[in-house]
Amino acid sequence: MQFLRILVITLLLSAPLPAFAYDVLILQSMHEKGYDEAFRGFKRECRASIRKLVLTDYVEADITRITREEHPKLIVAVGDHALELAQRQKTTPVLYMMALNVRHRKGVTGIGMLLDPARYFSVFDALGAGKVGVIYDPARSGAYLKRAHSAANRNRIELVLREVHTAKETPAMLESLRGKIDAIWMLPDTTAVSPASTEAYFLFSQGERVPVVTFADVYLSMGGAVALTMDRHDIGKQLGEMAQKVLDGADVDDLPAEFPRRVVTRANDGVVRQLDLAGRL
Amino acid sequence: MRRKLRLSPYIKSFRVRLYLIFTGTIALLTAAFVSFYVLTDMNSYRSTLEREGKLLAAILAQNARLPLFAENAEALTALAEGTARYPSVLSVTISNLNGVTVAEARNEKVQRSETIEMKVDITSPGQVLSPESVLLGHAAGDEQRVIGRVRLSLDTSGARERLTDLVAASLAIGTLFWIFVSLLCYQILKRVTSSFNLLTGGIEEIGSGKLSARVDLDGDDELGRAANAINAMAASLELRELENLALQEELLKAMRLEVQEEKKRVMARLIQTNKMTSLGLLLSSMAHEINNPNASIRFSGHMIGKMWSDAVPLLDGVMQEEGHFYLGGVPYEKARGAMAENAAKIVENSERIARVVQGLRDYGVGGGAHLRQKLEINNAVSAALSVLACQIRRDVQLTTALGTGIPALIGSQQQVEQVLINLILNAMQSFADGRGGVHLSTRYDSGSCEVIVEVQDNGVGIKPETMDRLFEPFYSTKLDRGGSGLGLYISQYIVAEHGGRLLLTSAPGKGTVARVVLPATPPSVGGVVSAKDVQHPSDALHEVR
Repeated sequence: MQFLRILVITLLLSAPLPAFAYDVLILQSMHEKGYDEAFRGFKRECRASIRKLVLTDYVEADITRITREEHPKLIVAVGDHALELAQRQKTTPVLYMMALNVRHRKGVTGIGMLLDPARYFSVFDALGAGKVGVIYDPARSGAYLKRAHSAANRNRIELVLREVHTAKETPAMLESLRGKIDAIWMLPDTTAVSPASTEAYFLFSQGERVPVVTFADVYLSMGGAVALTMDRHDIGKQLGEMAQKVLDGADVDDLPAEFPRRVVTRANDGVVRQLDLAGRL
Repeated sequence: MRRKLRLSPYIKSFRVRLYLIFTGTIALLTAAFVSFYVLTDMNSYRSTLEREGKLLAAILAQNARLPLFAENAEALTALAEGTARYPSVLSVTISNLNGVTVAEARNEKVQRSETIEMKVDITSPGQVLSPESVLLGHAAGDEQRVIGRVRLSLDTSGARERLTDLVAASLAIGTLFWIFVSLLCYQILKRVTSSFNLLTGGIEEIGSGKLSARVDLDGDDELGRAANAINAMAASLELRELENLALQEELLKAMRLEVQEEKKRVMARLIQTNKMTSLGLLLSSMAHEINNPNASIRFSGHMIGKMWSDAVPLLDGVMQEEGHFYLGGVPYEKARGAMAENAAKIVENSERIARVVQGLRDYGVGGGAHLRQKLEINNAVSAALSVLACQIRRDVQLTTALGTGIPALIGSQQQVEQVLINLILNAMQSFADGRGGVHLSTRYDSGSCEVIVEVQDNGVGIKPETMDRLFEPFYSTKLDRGGSGLGLYISQYIVAEHGGRLLLTSAPGKGTVARVVLPATPPSVGGVVSAKDVQHPSDALHEVR
């Protein structure tokens, strides 16, 4: 009897084990259309076995315990919250995507949300904008702006920078740019671009007759002139390729973080026409 | 009081009352319209003011959104001052989410009196997303976050001035309108009521009795039709009046004729009374003239009877001695009995003549002492038949059915006999060809204590027009055959004197039943026994069936 009891318990404990045998642990911050879109792109490129955890489905997910017990070869973090959790463990390499606030560490790489500054500069170049005003939070976009600045120099574009530390400063900083720039570059910086201050960009654009080049289509309807947007599905595919390389034996630290490779450029024809930029795009 | 009396005829006038009603109604309607217009306009002015204030506040809130977010007090003050320059704006206040006033401006030119407070929230645009949400592809929501508030005080003193002007203008226009419409109404009513006056005048003239008057009103409208109807009515009344006059004349004529007829009837009654008086005198005279010789006859009859009774023994001896002999051509054996019998008949009939004459005399002079005697109805019937024995023809079959146990009556047997004789004679004279049957019956009705004598014939009957006049004196259908017209008249009188009644029932072609009903005291013994098929002893010549 005692033997039978031990046998049943052993079988019950050993039964789930085949299910835990996988290569990639997907940590997704929440159920979100953008995240799902990127995940579908990832799955298309990465054929490894996958276990997916959506963090909002659990009260608290102990990633350290999971990696210790289940031994995934790779953790893919989708979103800022998932990246933050994944970085708490040190044993498994981490790839990220759809994360805006990334702090690079050892064993962590991925695809950022910010486009290659060169893409923007090609647009500014096309618009004939020599001086481009940029409002940014150094804590959030300082590193990106450093790379952008060197790229600007290569494109002979002068970046007129204004630093903000709170969202309330944005309108005043915009006012300080009056008469000094040919275009505004709107960054996906949550301090510089808040819901309350977004309107100020376009009022400034209207008053100064300078185009706003932004990072999402939705701003075109508010008065933006040109929008450079990323393809979330392609970001997933791009990360899938990177994950496949890691699973094939590449070292994560040898893989630098990449910009989204596919960019879609759209323009608001009305604004472009009013600003007499139609012939330049 | 004097004033009221002076005004009342005007107020009673249809035209004045209509005019007062019209002008009153128009005044009320005008006042209502003016009030409605003023209220509507004031509400409209106030709502316009509120709308304008709300619009100003909304524009200010929209413009103040970014400066408030950026906490740019200078820009907010500039906006507030710009808004406060509007004439109806008293003050502008912009406050943040915590209620702290960030900017304020006042319009010093405007006097503070009645104000309207207008509050509009300053909201951040809800459709704008954060960069993270935009990159993740979130859809824009409708939620708007309140970040502050704009408060406007609006001056409404202009509304009071506007109200005063509006009321004055509306009252002036309303009064002018009322005067104009009232004058118009007066003219219209004057035209309309002139027809009424004509109609009323005509009706009053006709009502006063002048039926030849007419309402002189032309037209096909209601009044014209009413005037035509009244004219037709007046014409009809006039015609009726003429007809009434003619009828009155005819009535007078008829009344005159009727008076003449009545006069004739009275005269006839006077003549009748005179006749009866004469008849009474005649009867008294006849009784006197008959009684004297009749007494002599009765005396002679007695004498003959006595003498014959004395002579009979002598004549019997003569016959024995000398044998048969004749007296007056009749053998003595027959003459012996017949002589005594004839002498007795002379006496009897003489006494009857005396009684009849006495009866006529009593009738003529109104005597009635003998009415208190006892009489047997069957005896009266027998006596009547005895009197009529000589007059009953062979072609007439007389049958009798005399009841038994009939109580005695109080009355005159001789008068009852006379009644029965009259009725039997009438029955025998009722046959067209002289042939027929007469049935005579007596009975006692114990229920009503009445003795009934019926004389029934199967003659020609009595015509209905004759029935009404049967009991009139001197009325007879047999005047040409010797009728006097007094039989039934006297019979009815006698029966009535005895407290009874004489009833005649007849139908043309079916005969007549004469019924004498006399009051009687109930009999002490026995009921009524049918005397059917009993032949009366004195009725030797008639077959009894």
